[in-house]
Amino acid sequence: MSTLSDRLLQLEEKLTNASLQIRTLGSFGAVVDGDTVTSKAWGRDKTLQLFQFLITARSRSSLHREKIIDRLWEDAEKDEGDRNFKVALHGINKALEPNRPPRTDPKYINRQGITYQLNQEEMWIDAQAIEDYIAIANEARGTDHTTAISAYRSALECHNGLYLPNRIYEDWSSEERERLQVLILSAYISLAELMLDQQPLETVRLAQKAISIDSTWEDAYQLQMKAYLAQGNRPAAIKSYQQCIKVLDKEFGLDPLPETQKIYDSII
Amino acid sequence: MANNNDQTASFMVRFSQKIYEDGQGDAQVQWRGKISHVQGGDSENFSEFSDAIQFIQSKLSELTKQATVDKTPEEQEGILTRSFDIWKKLSTTGAKMAIETIKDPRKGVAQLQEQISQVGEDIGQRLEIDEWRGAKKADYNDLKDTLQQVTSQLASLHDKVDKLSKNKK
Repeated sequence: MSTLSDRLLQLEEKLTNASLQIRTLGSFGAVVDGDTVTSKAWGRDKTLQLFQFLITARSRSSLHREKIIDRLWEDAEKDEGDRNFKVALHGINKALEPNRPPRTDPKYINRQGITYQLNQEEMWIDAQAIEDYIAIANEARGTDHTTAISAYRSALECHNGLYLPNRIYEDWSSEERERLQVLILSAYISLAELMLDQQPLETVRLAQKAISIDSTWEDAYQLQMKAYLAQGNRPAAIKSYQQCIKVLDKEFGLDPLPETQKIYDSII
Repeated sequence: MANNNDQTASFMVRFSQKIYEDGQGDAQVQWRGKISHVQGGDSENFSEFSDAIQFIQSKLSELTKQATVDKTPEEQEGILTRSFDIWKKLSTTGAKMAIETIKDPRKGVAQLQEQISQVGEDIGQRLEIDEWRGAKKADYNDLKDTLQQVTSQLASLHDKVDKLSKNKK
């Protein structure tokens, strides 16, 4: 059984070895064998949308064609929906493998009867990498701080913004966007905690990043206050506390938790 | 005619749990929430679930207004009033009705269909819930248990929030 650091290494190697690299956070992009897939190559927006839908649903064992059509072409009649799906699927395969010989199976999308699934063995997806890095980091946290820190860092490096920002109004993408955002917030907090003793200024930066994603994330204010305190910067710690009070009052009409209050009491 | 997407509002609700000790050393729990309207892209934080319900209601009203923009002001007002009525019923009795539906699917489905029919074709299509009839009894029981747990947790949460509000005053 491989160690956590081995698993981390394998994950990092996948980024280099995978023939298809997909970025979904901040903006969408796909690179096949070193070449960026251009918007012209994607052609119709529905082609790209189908591919992004398959990426979003990657954790499901397989997707039934009719379910996909229901989500992406909900107003279409059956024949029209089937036709649109076929055209979009052909568009994906053409964009990703323009030189695929006729009558050979597509490399990146597996088909079994009327179900479809991404072949993740052949691709690196930033959203999936984040999840895998964080899983390693969480597991390593108690026993191997170095691996945990590296894995959290790698996860956060993959995070360049919202998941599929061009699809924020599509409800099929919301669940994944929310799930990843909470995952990222937790990673910022976990890493900030791990850095507190050795690099409090880094804790401040990480906490600030978490606050920039969600200004009500109270754990981030607590860590920021502790880190400033460790630096001997009492005014900045007090300012963090005041910011926390202001935000929680405005957003929830609530006071900070007693734990936050306790940290403040230790400052004054 | 508006397409299905124009007639749909999706919401994402995030709950964050905060467990802490109060001044007496007793464990307390606080819930904080964030509700997002997917199609509109806006969101709101809340600590009272009623605020989330209000947020949903305002978005649904906008949806009804948009869908009836070509109606006369009188017709629009009538549809909005009926829309408010059904939403009021669903938001206050929704959970209870869902449990009853699970206990007795035929009766529940008939009740729900009747309520939706009252609103008329102007503001919506019939919910496609006939397929519920084909579900397994075990699925109904699982769903029933889950809903009962949620209902009881919500009641407990309300009590705690009330208690906190009183303490704050």
